[in-house]
Amino acid sequence: MGATDIRATGTRAADTRVRLGTGIGWRPEIADGIEAQPGIDWVEVVAENVCPDHLPEPLLRLSERGTKIVPHGVSLGLGGADRPDPAKLAALAERAEALQAPLVTEHIAFVRAGGGTTGRPRMEAGHLLPVPRTRDALDVLCENVAAAQEALPVPLAVENIAALVNWPGEEMSEGRFLAELVERTGVQLLIDVANLHTNHVNRGEDPAVALGELPLDALAYVHVAGGFERDGVWHDSHGHPVPQPVLDVLAQLCARTAPPGVLLERDENFPPVAELAAELDGIRAVLAGGGAEAEARHG
Amino acid sequence: MAETHPGDGTSAARERLARAQTALLAALVADGPVPDGFDAERLAVQRRALIGKRADVVAKVAPELPEILGEKTFRTEFAAYARGRPMEGGYRRDALDFARRLTEEGRAVDRATRLKVRRWWLERSGATPPPEGRVRRALYRLRAARQAG
Repeated sequence: MGATDIRATGTRAADTRVRLGTGIGWRPEIADGIEAQPGIDWVEVVAENVCPDHLPEPLLRLSERGTKIVPHGVSLGLGGADRPDPAKLAALAERAEALQAPLVTEHIAFVRAGGGTTGRPRMEAGHLLPVPRTRDALDVLCENVAAAQEALPVPLAVENIAALVNWPGEEMSEGRFLAELVERTGVQLLIDVANLHTNHVNRGEDPAVALGELPLDALAYVHVAGGFERDGVWHDSHGHPVPQPVLDVLAQLCARTAPPGVLLERDENFPPVAELAAELDGIRAVLAGGGAEAEARHG
Repeated sequence: MAETHPGDGTSAARERLARAQTALLAALVADGPVPDGFDAERLAVQRRALIGKRADVVAKVAPELPEILGEKTFRTEFAAYARGRPMEGGYRRDALDFARRLTEEGRAVDRATRLKVRRWWLERSGATPPPEGRVRRALYRLRAARQAG
């Protein structure tokens, strides 16, 4: 019996994960191109960039023709020391309902700090920063994720981020940290293969090791994105084409499991949409190849 | 579910985590010291990356600023402004603060450019909306020019 058959017939009868297919990050700059492009099964929107009362027309048209839309939050800071802000959670829940989303996603990151007893004013990072992989941080993250799950009307998946800095004194590998998070909260995972590649270049962490430790049963979907290397540091820019090493990590993942969805992220320096379509074709080819490889191994 | 109980079990962990994350973030956005055990060079790379991301968003909410300044000058002047100055109150506020700062001490920009930035700032800062009518608007701009000079 092949790997695909096992998944279909289900030793996991309770698999409620949504089959998403191949999608792209919806951004206003490429809205027309996305609409004109056949074969885009679903899109992701940055949750903070849409207002539930005034959803962009192109997004509504996509929704009407059955394209699934997943809100992707960037400001909850679930890995931060504070409990998630109930107002931010309510806003995310509202967007999930307005978009009839099958799930919502956020990041394993902290985005602000200071205030309270820290002796510093409150500060916003303006971007995602890595959580130390310690027992303390994991306990806090689990509780924050559980609070978010309770506030949201649909399942939550959380994403591994790209890190430029290393915390000293870490107690767990990324794979172990995520595995325990999933075990304790039942949260789903959004695995960004570009971020695994980033952590390979910047922190010397082998993606194969991370993939081997991850609970891939909990995989909701995969992010793929481009970046660039400068002075031995990988910058996850989302403004460059997806390079081969990132597709290689995707292939490694696909050899282990068939992802329910894959999404191409592009946030800057937008090329003609035909180029993005070609990148999506490249991703589909890896998905097809990965399935075949898994079949060959297990079949 | 494991041994976490909302409200009690994690309060000590939250405090320790808050201290650690605050020290790191202060080093990245508020010119704080490099916390023990961190690689100073990597922190510098991350600091610049955060400022770069911040400049990206400011350029999106205020596209006139890179237009007036030119992309390269916008980037260098923004980096000089943002270094050690954490963002307060969102990206629009950030764009306004940057513009105001530039009109006051933007050394690398000439007077005409500084004047354009000042006009941009005056029209958006809400303090003095541009008046109705061509003559009044011309006088207002003249006044802005004197203040910027």
